[in-house]
Amino acid sequence: MIQRHILIFIISVLIQFTAYSQKPELEQEQDSIKTKVSYGFRLGIDISKPIISFLQENTKGFELTGDLRFSNNYYAAAELGYEDVLKTEDYLNYSTKGSFIKLGVNYNAYENWKGMNNQIYIGGRYAFSFFEHTLNSYTPNASGTYFIANPIEAGTNFKDLNAHWLEFVFGMKIETLPNLYLGTQLSLKKMIATKEPKNFKNLYIPGFNRVFSNNLGVGFNYTVSYNIPIINKYK
Amino acid sequence: MKKYFTLIVLSLTLVLSCEKDDICLENTTPNLILKFYDFEKDTIVKKVLIDSIKAIDNAIIEGYTKKTLDSILIPLDLNEFKTVYKISSGGKSDTIYFSYGRNDVFVSRSCGYKTIFENLKIDSFTNNWIKSYNINNTTINNDTTAHINIYH
Repeated sequence: MIQRHILIFIISVLIQFTAYSQKPELEQEQDSIKTKVSYGFRLGIDISKPIISFLQENTKGFELTGDLRFSNNYYAAAELGYEDVLKTEDYLNYSTKGSFIKLGVNYNAYENWKGMNNQIYIGGRYAFSFFEHTLNSYTPNASGTYFIANPIEAGTNFKDLNAHWLEFVFGMKIETLPNLYLGTQLSLKKMIATKEPKNFKNLYIPGFNRVFSNNLGVGFNYTVSYNIPIINKYK
Repeated sequence: MKKYFTLIVLSLTLVLSCEKDDICLENTTPNLILKFYDFEKDTIVKKVLIDSIKAIDNAIIEGYTKKTLDSILIPLDLNEFKTVYKISSGGKSDTIYFSYGRNDVFVSRSCGYKTIFENLKIDSFTNNWIKSYNINNTTINNDTTAHINIYH
């Protein structure tokens, strides 16, 4: 699962570099003429989630992304999504479903050539998720094999749970066609607080993914987004 | 930008490599501990020569044959609310009928749930070598202290 994510990420980075190398000569203007810089709202969709949903049974998810340029290098950014996943561990099997929202800022650290609008950025997010788990089945864990425990079909529902956390993001967006961007983003997450279920644990949280034992998490997305120019400035 | 990338790859490796919740290290379902005392002087531990220990309809527990011990650690049936053990000592056999309630408690991702036994009772026992008993703790939630004293 993680290896697959990493592989998809590497492939996507490679694809973007090839796409990006074709770009420079498209909109070249003479130095004396001022370059158009557009300030717009960019709306995107994470295309990795439908692919994962297709490849893995019992996994559903989608994510919308958006960002709004508010100064030369700064963008207000948001992600919004839904997930419904089935997870199997050694001694238990559970489903988690819920929604998440992430709000924050990206800082574009990439120096564009005139007329180009690519990004290599870092950023931060505050994220919130509300979700529920269903413990489908479990097998009581006993050492030794003298008595073998039978699996218990619990079907216990843990409702009204929530979590909020912080993310550090790193990503890039490449304009492949006018106003159409391919992007990829990696995020490192640190939990602030969770509402834990009774006699169970938030092992997976929509938007946060697997909750590692030190309350850390990782995630990525691969987006196709469209920029709607709102204001055009010339400089 | 390369600096950032190195940083991210490093932290990812750290996060993903050695995850302690991948391996179950916590205590799971506890066993029942019986400790043997002298019937005459009930504060004095008196060792027992164990010929064999077995649950009814099950095999002899390995490691408990022809041994002189002051206490034994035996598992309870997780699928039932009672377990019957036959303990043989010095050519005599005694059967003990244990009954209990079960409560499954979440431990961790890799350990899953463990079973805690509650309201532990001895419904009946035969007294060929066992003379009497005392239940110290009706809840079995650890493997460290004796739950039942057996006097012989």
